[in-house]
Amino acid sequence: MTAAPGARSRFGVPDRLAGSRRLQLAVIGLPVALWILWWLGGSYFTLLIQSFWVTDGFSVKPLWNLDSYIKIFSQDYFLKTLAKSFLIAGVTVLVATLLAFPVAYFITFKMTRRKSLGYVMVIVPLWVSYLVRAYAWKVILGEQGFLNTALMNVGLIHEPLTFLLYSPFAVILTLTHIYTPFMILTIYAVLEHIPAAYIEASRDLGAGGLRTFIRVTLPLAMPGILAGGLFSFGLAAGDFVAPLLVGGPDAVMISNIIASQFGAANDWPLGAALAAVMLAAMIVVIRLASWVEARSLT
Amino acid sequence: MTAPAIHTDGASLPGSPPGREVAVRLIGTTKRYGALTAVDALDLEVQRGEFLALLGPSGCGKTTTLRMIGGFETPDSGAIEIDGVDVTRRPPDRRPVNTVFQSYALFPHMSVTDNVEYGLRVRGVDRAASKRAVEEVLALVGLQDVGGKRPRQLSGGMQQRVALARALVLKPTVLLLDEPLGSLDLKFRKQMQVELRRLHREVGGTFIHVTHDQEEAMTMADRICIMRSGRIMQMGSPTEIYDEPNSRYVAGFIGSTSFLEGTVSAVDGGMAVISVPGAGDLRARLGQPLAVGAAASFSVRPEQVVVGGAATGDGTSVTGRLVDLLPTGAASMARVAVGGAEVVAQVSRSFSAAIGDELVLGWDAVAARAFEGPKQ
Repeated sequence: MTAAPGARSRFGVPDRLAGSRRLQLAVIGLPVALWILWWLGGSYFTLLIQSFWVTDGFSVKPLWNLDSYIKIFSQDYFLKTLAKSFLIAGVTVLVATLLAFPVAYFITFKMTRRKSLGYVMVIVPLWVSYLVRAYAWKVILGEQGFLNTALMNVGLIHEPLTFLLYSPFAVILTLTHIYTPFMILTIYAVLEHIPAAYIEASRDLGAGGLRTFIRVTLPLAMPGILAGGLFSFGLAAGDFVAPLLVGGPDAVMISNIIASQFGAANDWPLGAALAAVMLAAMIVVIRLASWVEARSLT
Repeated sequence: MTAPAIHTDGASLPGSPPGREVAVRLIGTTKRYGALTAVDALDLEVQRGEFLALLGPSGCGKTTTLRMIGGFETPDSGAIEIDGVDVTRRPPDRRPVNTVFQSYALFPHMSVTDNVEYGLRVRGVDRAASKRAVEEVLALVGLQDVGGKRPRQLSGGMQQRVALARALVLKPTVLLLDEPLGSLDLKFRKQMQVELRRLHREVGGTFIHVTHDQEEAMTMADRICIMRSGRIMQMGSPTEIYDEPNSRYVAGFIGSTSFLEGTVSAVDGGMAVISVPGAGDLRARLGQPLAVGAAASFSVRPEQVVVGGAATGDGTSVTGRLVDLLPTGAASMARVAVGGAEVVAQVSRSFSAAIGDELVLGWDAVAARAFEGPKQ
């Protein structure tokens, strides 16, 4: 890029200093880059390598083969569990979005005076440990739990409902509870940055409140919904605590299987291969989401 | 001081052509924000087909007035009529007005065509008709080949035209312009001023234009409404306001003028004599009613000052010392110290004098004005 003499870069620094600016950024960025490369890149690399090795008793031997991958793709158990994990995560994100959007909308546009109060009320539950919140659902949903006791006392049911706990339903409920605040925060962040003039312009051009919402507010909020959704989807699909605590046998997720390969099942190469397959599937989902976003905005 | 009474019977308004319909009428419209009264019992009539400029410094209530006409603010009291229909509590989507926003507010997720077509689609105009209308209006504002682009791919001036097209395509009874030229650079702004006047002539609608730029208002508007602190100070055609300002404030806001402060020593017919310390007794026509003994400002515009005549001794000349001579191109401005103040005189380019020279400044007493002095 050439620039007129005296031109200034985006940072307001004269272009002739931009080179040294780049140097500064490199100096500041280098430790972070190395840190990520070593710890994150290094572990992914080790994982990928090990997925092509074999297990031998209590150690992993560097004998190159594709056994683990063949095992994954020849038995539909693994792929089905992966699909189920993505399904559970997908439903979670969908429900969380439907719950989060009205809340974010309300905080942004209706709580004009007490916005920070609304914001804090969303954040406060995040201060409670994930485990505690997951356990809380056990207390609520169990056979002797709060919900069943209450329903029986009211006389609506005579026997405890057993489908509440230890089911995919319980996992989705717990995950939704955990990721809805994140969805609220990301959606709030985009709604907050939609200039009021866009909404006024839509009304000015004759659109009512609902049409303005559908044609203007919602499309402009899409990046936030996608970002929050992707974030929650990734974490929910890879969750192994909720299925462990409230899931039961029907709600085993891919991360539970991966974890057990590194534990009780003691098949590290298979665990590594499963992780690699999951990572690949996740990348596909992310690419898909950014394609949707690009299409909706350019 | 109080604003001149505005007739609300639709009859003769100062500076408006007689016998025309009223497009917008504000009746005692008031808007408060907490303790601040942004618009104070405003009475205003906008004639059909006129180009009205709401002019004033920031915080004078001009934008709030425009937003109340557009439906984005609801008055605390008073009423707003458009085409004789009370729209005071109607939302913006149910008013026959459209706005060109200061920020343009073009939808970033839609193409230029979709932006312009938006209002037509909302109204249920069929595809073929709306496509044709969009093409026509884009041609009208001089943008033929950018329909497929996104707003952010266009320059500020082009975005401005898209915003105009988007509002004009709906053929509004009234077009509201909220300082739309504010963010353009000077050259573009001049060009758009000419363009807006042309559009106004071609479209033939009523335009209400909010601006803080007096020159812009002078060039573009049929009528100017000067506002201050939520009230109308004066309303009239640009020449009327320039020639007959009704207060010191208006005289100072429109065009340039020099003030000399003093007290009224005599009032006779339409004329006043103002005693200015260090400058003597000066004669000027009354710009507003004044009583003998009141604090008053003597006001004279640079082009009305004649430099180098003989001292008249009848209150139509004054002697001062040249402080500075500023070339402005076609003419030069001579800053002359008179008493404790300064009088600016327009002189020809060939005028030459040394700084510190004593000069005699003369004027026609009918051209100079006497106003109430500045509030302490």
